[in-house]
Amino acid sequence: MAQAINGKPISDAEFNSLAMQVFTHQYRQNKPYQHFCNSIGTSPEQVTHWHNIPALPTDAFKAEAFPLSTFPIADARKTFLTSGTTTETKGIHYFASTDLYDQSIINAWHELKLPEPTHALFLIPHPDQSPHSSLSHMMGVIAQHIAQRSSWATDESGSLEPKKIIDATNDHQPVTLFGTALSFLHLFDSIESPLQLAPGSWAMETGGYKGTRHQLTKGELYQLFKTKLGLPSDCIVNEYSMTELSSQFYSSGLNQPHKGPSWTRIRVIDPVTNTDAKPGELGHLVLYDLANLHSVMAIRTQDLATQDQTNLEVSAPCFNLIGRDPTALPRGCSRSSDETLSR
Amino acid sequence: MTTTQERIQLIAEACSHDQVQQWTGAITADDLHAWISSELGSDMALETFLAHGPLQSKAIAPACILHIVSGNTAHAAFQSIIRGLLIGSHNVVKIPSAGLAELTDALKHFPDALKELIEIHSTLEQQDWSRADVIIAIGSDESIAAIHQHTKPHQIFIPHSHKVSIGLVYDDFEAAAIHAASDASLYNQRGCLSLHAIYVAGDSERFADLLAIEMEKFSQSNPADSLTVSEAGAIRNLRESTRFRLSNDPKVILLESGDSLDWTVIHEASATLQLSCLNRCVYVKPLPSELNTAILGPESEHLSTIAIHPFNQANAVSLEHLPAHRMCPLGQSQQPSLFWHHDGFAPLASLVKWKDIG
Repeated sequence: MAQAINGKPISDAEFNSLAMQVFTHQYRQNKPYQHFCNSIGTSPEQVTHWHNIPALPTDAFKAEAFPLSTFPIADARKTFLTSGTTTETKGIHYFASTDLYDQSIINAWHELKLPEPTHALFLIPHPDQSPHSSLSHMMGVIAQHIAQRSSWATDESGSLEPKKIIDATNDHQPVTLFGTALSFLHLFDSIESPLQLAPGSWAMETGGYKGTRHQLTKGELYQLFKTKLGLPSDCIVNEYSMTELSSQFYSSGLNQPHKGPSWTRIRVIDPVTNTDAKPGELGHLVLYDLANLHSVMAIRTQDLATQDQTNLEVSAPCFNLIGRDPTALPRGCSRSSDETLSR
Repeated sequence: MTTTQERIQLIAEACSHDQVQQWTGAITADDLHAWISSELGSDMALETFLAHGPLQSKAIAPACILHIVSGNTAHAAFQSIIRGLLIGSHNVVKIPSAGLAELTDALKHFPDALKELIEIHSTLEQQDWSRADVIIAIGSDESIAAIHQHTKPHQIFIPHSHKVSIGLVYDDFEAAAIHAASDASLYNQRGCLSLHAIYVAGDSERFADLLAIEMEKFSQSNPADSLTVSEAGAIRNLRESTRFRLSNDPKVILLESGDSLDWTVIHEASATLQLSCLNRCVYVKPLPSELNTAILGPESEHLSTIAIHPFNQANAVSLEHLPAHRMCPLGQSQQPSLFWHHDGFAPLASLVKWKDIG
């Protein structure tokens, strides 16, 4: 599978063939998933197209008694936990190795032609401080493999240290700020006068506000980027992913679709009919990620989206993310980070 | 300025109209007299000074009540407004920005003398906050907290935050299933008095089967409202998550209305109270030998009503230790008496202040 996650285009036929192999592997090795497939009368012998691979809801990762893993969880070298309150059940994603996960981050970055940060400045906890955060891990991979230079704008407890960002901007060198939407709001609240970022600077934000007091539209958030950091919207990238996945999706600026790497596919499902939503119509996002080799490749989210109509001929996924469904329970890495920053 | 007697007649007249009665229930003038007498000691308490121990006392209604209502159902909004009207206050009603057509449409049938006491706003100005003597807030915990920040020390604040109700079935499953289906289905489960879970003594799996049959019957005779994408997605997510659990845990049972999303019944062994995703999705659980907040879990702090079958005084009193403010017969959870203490508040007495002589 590592050969498929190399940043080169994968045709639909190739993707389908690989997806069938992954589904067969997961059906055989991941018993809780196999039981689910059996309960709905589906097995690899009956599936010929990736569309029909049974998708599990993200809540299934919360069933601790039935770990979604193709290997014994005692052999897990890494576990990522979903965020949530102390009373909320957390989802667990087990990894025997993060090699494929890391490869997915790096190769997607290159395939989707994201700019290489000259100085990456992270507004979220370091992976050592947050070892079960998939977002912190991703930042660690960016620091190690993608950015030319990196530093962390958080203290030992993981709380934001705005002074480190202010100091970094005084170098008059381009910086790339990485953080959750909430961590950026903390930054904006804590700086008295707007920062002047050097030309070539840009930012990557992720996560929403569900379960917090903040309710900003993306447009309002990006306006704050403009007024507080001088960054226009086309210098801001949104990253969309989740603990239950191993790949990421990115959009640049406002009103632009999210795009994923070639080893992913998406469907937008109309929950009323439980079939594909018509192009342009709202539905829930179902994600297919070949890099999720050791758990479940088909994940049903509670995120609302529309299929992007301008890119229907493109094999790689493209969707317009509306956001987290308001009826879903509070969750999301942005919120976890907010709790840390509020300490 | 109207008298209590006049307002009673006007409210009774309004509540006799079908479009109003569907939200308020049948309310007669005699009911209103009895209600005021029960809460304030006399139906003349707002009109004149009456003996109160060694004193003479008169109830004083707030000049202005600000009602901030949610969009879940119109019931709570009507209850709140009727209380304000009955004591003769001016009522400023903040409705959700998306509107609350059930309320505004039905208010058209109120007599003019009552309409004059009601203002409907979709946004609030500073003067709306400052002129209120009482602020009644109905909504999520987050909304209530935000509204509370606007209140001044001299203002009475009455919060009606997130609540959840449950059923308890001890016996007589066939009748209980009919009542439970009604309590879990009415108003698409969107109110505080809607049942999210039913705890069953004895063969709870059999009860789940019976409940599913009655949910289907109720759905046939009372089709659910059409669902938004979000609501439908929440039901699909609940069903698929449950399907995953049941495929690995034979004690979990999922009963559902086929491909449609009309109703969902989930049987599971855990006694922990979980919130339903609403829209006629209900949990059935075995009744543990002891029912307390530790067993029910954190959601028990939000208990509003416990609906019991068969209902008797002893059964109800045995649940007194739980945080719920109301124990009632199963099948009546969604029809509280005019006299009920809404979330523990005396609905009229908590609005008034008193003047004493002597």
